[in-house]
Amino acid sequence: MMRLDHGIERGRRIQIILDGERVDVFEGETLAAAMIEQSSAFRRDSNGMARGMFCNMGTCGECTVTLLPGGQRVRACLVPAQVGMDVTRD
Amino acid sequence: MGGGLIGCATAWRLAREGAKVTVLDSGDFGMGASGQNAGSLHFQLERRFLENGDALAEQATRTAALNRLAISDWSSLEADLATNLHITMNGGLMVAETAEECALLELKIARENAEGLRTRMIDGHEARQIAPYLSEAICAAGYSPDEGHADARLVTHAIAIAADKTGALLRPRCRVQSIRRVCREYVVRTAAEQFAASQILIACGAWTAHVAAMLNLHVPLFPVGLLMNATERVAQVVPHLVQHVGRRLSMKQTHSGNLLIGGGWPSRMALDAEGRFTLYRPPAVIEASLRGNLRVAIDVAPMVATINLVRSWTGITAISADQLPIVGEIPAMPGCWVAGGGSAFTLGPTFARLIAQSMSGTKCEELEIVAPSRFAHLNSFMGQ
Ligand SMILES: Cc1cc2nc3c(=O)[nH]c(=O)nc-3n(C[C@H](O)[C@H](O)[C@H](O)COP(=O)(O)OP(=O)(O)OC[C@H]3O[C@@H](n4cnc5c(N)ncnc54)[C@H](O)[C@@H]3O)c2cc1C
Ligand code: FES
Repeated sequence: MMRLDHGIERGRRIQIILDGERVDVFEGETLAAAMIEQSSAFRRDSNGMARGMFCNMGTCGECTVTLLPGGQRVRACLVPAQVGMDVTRD
Repeated sequence: MGGGLIGCATAWRLAREGAKVTVLDSGDFGMGASGQNAGSLHFQLERRFLENGDALAEQATRTAALNRLAISDWSSLEADLATNLHITMNGGLMVAETAEECALLELKIARENAEGLRTRMIDGHEARQIAPYLSEAICAAGYSPDEGHADARLVTHAIAIAADKTGALLRPRCRVQSIRRVCREYVVRTAAEQFAASQILIACGAWTAHVAAMLNLHVPLFPVGLLMNATERVAQVVPHLVQHVGRRLSMKQTHSGNLLIGGGWPSRMALDAEGRFTLYRPPAVIEASLRGNLRVAIDVAPMVATINLVRSWTGITAISADQLPIVGEIPAMPGCWVAGGGSAFTLGPTFARLIAQSMSGTKCEELEIVAPSRFAHLNSFMGQ
C-alpha cells in the first residue's frame, strides 16, 4: 500500500505485534491504517475470499481485531496504534 | 404481485407446472420482510399463540399440519434449487426458566404431539447436554429435532432465479398501481405497462391491505415493526435455534459465525405527514426493546454477554386480525388469491406450493384453516 509522504505529519515510528510478528507503524495512526500497510486483506470469508475493511468509520465492524493479552475485540479503524500493542486478526 | 418469498416461490411452482406467470415487485425481489427476517425455521407452537388464551392456542395447534409440511419442504429446498442456502436443521430448543413456564411447555408439547409433531420435553440437565451454552437457570425445554434456520438473504433470491430459469417473467421496480376486474380477467397496471391474467395472487406482505384496496377489498393484515440484532462473528457455539416459551427470544448462529438475536421485540413504525403508519420508511429502534432482547439472550446463554453487538435493524412484517396467516382465494373475488401474515419465512415455501396447487385447480385441505373466508364478513359490502 502506498503512503503519502509529502506535507504529512506523523507520529514517531514504533513497533506493534500483528499476528505474532513485529511490524513498524506510526504512533497514533489507526490500527487499520497500520494493518492495511501490511495487506489490504484483513481476513478470509467463509468462501475463502479476501475481505478488507469497509467503512473506516466504526460502523460496519469489518475491521474487528482482538487485542492481546486481554482479548478485547475492537474496531481497528477506531483505535490508535501504541507501543507494544499485540493485535490478532481473525 | 409481490416478489417476496411467497410470490417468488409460487411463481416458481406454477412455472414448473407449465403456467404462464409474471411476478411484479415495486422494489426488488426479497427486499421486503423476506430479506429482513431472522431466518428461523420454527416448528414448535409460537409463544405468541400461547399467551392469548386457550381458544387461540387451540386454533393455532390446528396449523400444525402446515408445520409438518414445512419441515419436508425445507428439507428438500436446497436439493430442489441445487444451491446452498445455509439451511441447517440441527434441532431447536424452546426454553423455560420458571415453574409456570415449564407447565406451559408441557401443555404446548402435548398439543403438538397430538398433531403429530415430534417435539419432546427435556429437563434442564438434558437441555445443557444438548446445548452446553445454556444457563443453569434453564429448567426445561421443548426440543424439536427438525427446527433450525436458513439465510434469509439467500433464500428468496435463489428462488427468484429458479423462477426466472423455469420461465416465469420477473419484473422488479414495477409497482402495481391499479387492478381492475374485466369480465373474467384481471387487468393489473403499473406506471408503464398493463398485464392481464385469469388469476392473480396478492403476496405483498405488509402492503397487502393497500393492494387489496385496489380491488375494493379488505384483507385484515396489519403491519408490525420488529427488531433484529447481529453480533460479531465468533467460533461456532450455537448450532440450534433457541427460543423461549415465556419471553421474546429467537437466537441462532449464522454460517459466518454471527449470532442473530430477535424474537418479536417491537420497533416504532414511521408516520406519514397525515400521522398514519407508513411502510416506506424503516421503523426506528426502541431502546427498551434492544435492551430487553439482549437481556433475554444473556439470561438464556450467558456467553452472549462477552460478544459484541455489531448491528441492529428493523423490518416490517404483517399480522392478521386473528394472528393466523391468511392464505387462499378471496370468496368475494374468484380468481383473486391472497397469501400473507405470520411466520411466512418458515411457512412461505409451503404456502407457495399449496397456493400453486390450488390455483392449478387441485383443492388443498391443509389451507382450510388459514382460508380468507373466515373474514368474508368484512367484504360483504365490498368487492365489485
Ligand atoms: C424482523 C423480522 C423477523 C422475522 N423473523 C421471522 C422468522 O424468523 N421466521 C419466520 O418464519 N418469519 C419471520 N418473519 C416474517 C417473515 O419475514 C414474513 O412473514 C415473510 O417474509 C413474508 O413474505 P412475503 O413474501 O409475504 O412478503 P414480503 O417479503 O414482505 O414481500 C412483499 C413484496 O411485495 C412488494 N410490494 C409491495 N407493494 C407492492 C405493489 N404495490 N406492487 C408490487 N409489489 C409490491 C414489496 O416490494 C415486497 O418485496 C420476520 C419478519 C421480520 C420483519
Ligand atoms: S472498517 Fe468499518 S468499522 Fe472499521
